[in-house]
Amino acid sequence: MTDSMQYDYFGAYGGRYVGETLRPALDRLAAEFEEAWSDPLFHRELLKIRTTWIGRPTPLLFAENATRALGGARIYVKMEGLAHTGAHKINNAVGQALLAKRMGKRKVIAETGAGQHGLASAAAAAKFGMGCRVYMGEIDMARQRPNVFAMEMMGTEVTAVKSGARTLKDAINAALREWASAFPDTHYIIGSALGPSPFPEIARRFQSVVGDETRAQMREIGGEISALIACVGGGSNAIGFFSPFIGESRPRLIGVEAGGRGTGPGDNAVRMSGHAARVGVAHGYKSRFLMDNDGQLLPSHSISAGLDYPGVGPQLASLGESGRIEFVSAGDGEALAALRFFARHEGVMFALESAHAGAAAMRLAPTMKSSESIVVNMSGRGDKDLFITAKALDRDNWIGFLRREVDNG
Amino acid sequence: MADCLLMAHLVAGYPDLETSVAIAMALAEGGADYLEVQFPFSDPTADGPTIEHACRAALENGFKVDAGFELLRRLATETPTPLFIMTYGSLVFARGAEAFARQAKAVGVRGLIIPDLPPDYDENLFAAGAAAGLAVTPVIAPEITDRRLEYIGALRPEFMYTALRLGITGDQTELDAAAIRYLDKVAAFGAKTVAGFGVRTRKQMEALASHAHAAAVGSHFLEIFKNSGNGYRAALTGAAQRLKGR
Repeated sequence: MTDSMQYDYFGAYGGRYVGETLRPALDRLAAEFEEAWSDPLFHRELLKIRTTWIGRPTPLLFAENATRALGGARIYVKMEGLAHTGAHKINNAVGQALLAKRMGKRKVIAETGAGQHGLASAAAAAKFGMGCRVYMGEIDMARQRPNVFAMEMMGTEVTAVKSGARTLKDAINAALREWASAFPDTHYIIGSALGPSPFPEIARRFQSVVGDETRAQMREIGGEISALIACVGGGSNAIGFFSPFIGESRPRLIGVEAGGRGTGPGDNAVRMSGHAARVGVAHGYKSRFLMDNDGQLLPSHSISAGLDYPGVGPQLASLGESGRIEFVSAGDGEALAALRFFARHEGVMFALESAHAGAAAMRLAPTMKSSESIVVNMSGRGDKDLFITAKALDRDNWIGFLRREVDNG
Repeated sequence: MADCLLMAHLVAGYPDLETSVAIAMALAEGGADYLEVQFPFSDPTADGPTIEHACRAALENGFKVDAGFELLRRLATETPTPLFIMTYGSLVFARGAEAFARQAKAVGVRGLIIPDLPPDYDENLFAAGAAAGLAVTPVIAPEITDRRLEYIGALRPEFMYTALRLGITGDQTELDAAAIRYLDKVAAFGAKTVAGFGVRTRKQMEALASHAHAAAVGSHFLEIFKNSGNGYRAALTGAAQRLKGR
């Protein structure tokens, strides 16, 4: 017996590997989500908040200067980072907050790494008049102070997670633990297309608006897409972007993982294309994880906090295995170079996560014909990374500025 | 009135392998009827902070699953107390349910408690355990639906590990009438119920008598261990004896 819904597994991956304490919450969530999804009223509410608050549809930019500079395929950028709070994360957070409200929950909880999902959840909770607590690793809190400040401004309580590695994966554990005792009045908005079912499917559906818009926008300009490129941490921007095309044989779907600072263990977050990952069960789902032979999760690294996670969403793992999605990686340095390139040529600052997709596009475009088009998902904008990118690219001036700020403060 | 037996929990490799053997022996000496040995996992989702910190320390000390099995082999030769392994699905899945069960049986383990490999997402653990002659013990919770409880009960497990309240290990547990009713409902399926999550007093043990086969006690012992310095062996033996009413 399972009360599971349709998309419990994606090929061999997914599932609902949780204790019985969480089982009723997930069973009920699956049922209520399907009910909401089949209700036109729910979609009307979703559409309204998307257009009046998130700022959808986000533009599709023809990156003409970048295309000319690289030579080869036409490069388009889906400007998802222009969505409210700065990234695609808001699509899922708003959708799940609406669902939570419909389910009669008074509170939402969320985990966050860099803070983008926490910020999106905090904003959605404030907008819908719900309480919100965000779990954030102690280390992440220390290095992402601006997002902590913004979340608190919105009335969210940010709780430092002091267990484990004190980063994103531990925040997920803490949120799952909290949810096990709080679910009667609390919904857990998981931040990516991962975790126990039905979460990966819920995140995919709320994020599929990105792919749907892209397809419509390309049709409008009469363009045919040869390849879609998205970065892959947990993978919600990628699965949403790819979603309408998964069942078709074209275009090429390319997922870009964080190559970090090298191929050694702990130096990257490559789950799909290297040899460091294995199939495992963690955080409630089965997928490919950076894991040792005993099944212990291993540390990961990326210059972008959003890609610095040891697992990958189960549907992406399955589509990677079937070959429908090609996985490549881009390193910290390549991401910074891509950030600079698109800023210089297009006046657009990618988030460091999305800059990995930009880097892959820069490699790919020159190998393609000028009649072909690739679309890069700029899943987030780069303002949030100021403290990382300025330090990496303009160290002396930036440090000098921070010093003066402290001295004047 | 049937007395409630004591399932004493410890973390393998905490604070190190040698000391965890000594902890196990102290608990057995104090009258523990079962030892529940937890293999630490890097990303636990059902442990309270006390147990989680112990697991983290054991991992930082280099805990390996093979060393955990060796520890159990030693315990099995040194005490007749039946041994259970508690851990998370990742460790079982990493070597395969069949191999894990065979290895557990070979070192003298009586049963397995893996909360995130529930029946129907068990990666064949229940069948593999049965084939190896192990008591694979489902972990259930008060909020379980009747339908789900019947599904699990129909597997005829020898033991059922039951949480007494919503949530995680280590929190205070009140044994109210609803908890007793729930325990009796579970017991009706014929399994030996092990009641866990927050038991720490003789009074709770007495309240559980006739309603649960055994009580699992974990965070309580860890706290005593941490607070008793070099005298931990006597302190743990004494704590187990108090829970047993001796």
